[in-house]
Amino acid sequence: MFKIITVLALVLSLYAEEEYRLGEGVQVASLPFFVGGYFSSDYRNMNNENRYRLDDIAVIGYGSYDKFSYMAEFEYKAFYVETYTGDTKNITRDTKIHTERVYLDYKLDENYMFRVGKYSNPIGFWNLLPVNVLRDTTSTPVSVNILFPKFTTGASASYSSYDEGELKIDLMIQNNNDLDHDYNNYIVDKHYGFNLSYEQGDYTLKANGGYFRNVMSYDPSEADEPYESLTNPEELYYFLLSGKYDTQKYQFLSEIGTQRKESEITTNYAGYIQGLYHFTEQHAGILRVESYDDKLNNKSDAIAIVGHTYRPIYPVAIKSEYQFHSLHAENQFLFSLSVMF
Amino acid sequence: MKKIAISSVMLILVPLLSLGDEYVVISNKNIKELSQSEIKAIFLKKLTLIDAIAVVPVNLEAGDSLRVKFEEKLLDMSFERLKSYWTKEHYLGHRPPVNMKSEESIKAFVKKVDGAIGYINANSVDDGVKVLYKWSD
Repeated sequence: MFKIITVLALVLSLYAEEEYRLGEGVQVASLPFFVGGYFSSDYRNMNNENRYRLDDIAVIGYGSYDKFSYMAEFEYKAFYVETYTGDTKNITRDTKIHTERVYLDYKLDENYMFRVGKYSNPIGFWNLLPVNVLRDTTSTPVSVNILFPKFTTGASASYSSYDEGELKIDLMIQNNNDLDHDYNNYIVDKHYGFNLSYEQGDYTLKANGGYFRNVMSYDPSEADEPYESLTNPEELYYFLLSGKYDTQKYQFLSEIGTQRKESEITTNYAGYIQGLYHFTEQHAGILRVESYDDKLNNKSDAIAIVGHTYRPIYPVAIKSEYQFHSLHAENQFLFSLSVMF
Repeated sequence: MKKIAISSVMLILVPLLSLGDEYVVISNKNIKELSQSEIKAIFLKKLTLIDAIAVVPVNLEAGDSLRVKFEEKLLDMSFERLKSYWTKEHYLGHRPPVNMKSEESIKAFVKKVDGAIGYINANSVDDGVKVLYKWSD
């Protein structure tokens, strides 16, 4: 079905009104329906292990009509993974199609917007652009994976105003199970969160906070049944501050947060500071320093990442990075090729 | 006396000659006054409704010298930065403004379509459009 829809959309796109440009999708016939997609492949060398991975193959569709707009994103995740540990070769394939985002927006007026469905949480900066081709590095900061749920299946309300700067407030609400529950970093049945963001000129500041209920544990070593219901679901609270200074030539980005249960701290702190410098329009150098102290998983680490990104054109990214960990066994080299269609 | 006359003429002409061309952001007459940051938000498709009217920003073709001036002055963004912006916005489900071939087509479109907003050379302005913002080289 997924393949039929994709082929049909591509055939209809031959009748699009706009000329196709890589990275901007294409209109299907003259309908309020645009399709695009992306893919990502990467290589990792870590501690006597070499991993080759065709990670994301995704299709996105969206459009708007009057005060309504919609978005849908479906993808294969870890589609093909080939791992060599010493002389041992292991191949895994995940051919399940995951629902990353499906939502409907309604704009009430120039200030207020409402959303229902599954969406990426507007928490910090990194979580809103979670695909490889749009990221600055192949890897994602650890803080983005451990502090808060990446997705909400429920509703949201947003307020925006444009005066001297841009003020945005979002409220996120979930009181039901996740849509496609194994496509989220936490399996939650409740999430109440807020986002407060202010942008003026080259500066943006954000504050996020919220509560969520984690109902399942995840153990990747249990290949058949990696998810197990928690007898006592975890009630977790998070708070995150983030800031960005973004110019034509360079960018500074930082996010730092904490997470706790009612009675104890589960993550003392997790955060990063990243600097990016554009040597030319195509080449950028990245330096990121991360640190976290995760009591929930009993793990803490400090990481320095040096990376280089080459974009012959913006929607094509060829990235390499080396990670130096205080847990030396996790030092690693990453290389990736990703494209947005 | 002759030197004084030449100096006086030069004093008047030099500032006039050094004045750059003037450009304007225009809209359909039913759009209210907009601030510079609101105009920027409209061309970045962050602001899509004004007083319940769907706003329709229109650009000149990529590479047009007036478009480059507009994007540098009003949006404060280079062509490359806008390219990366619209690739990210594509992932978020937003489209860039539509392009038009000439200032004349923009003016005609703005007159005809409720909520339309574009930019043209100031000497092309007539009574059929509203001037929201003016700048010069």
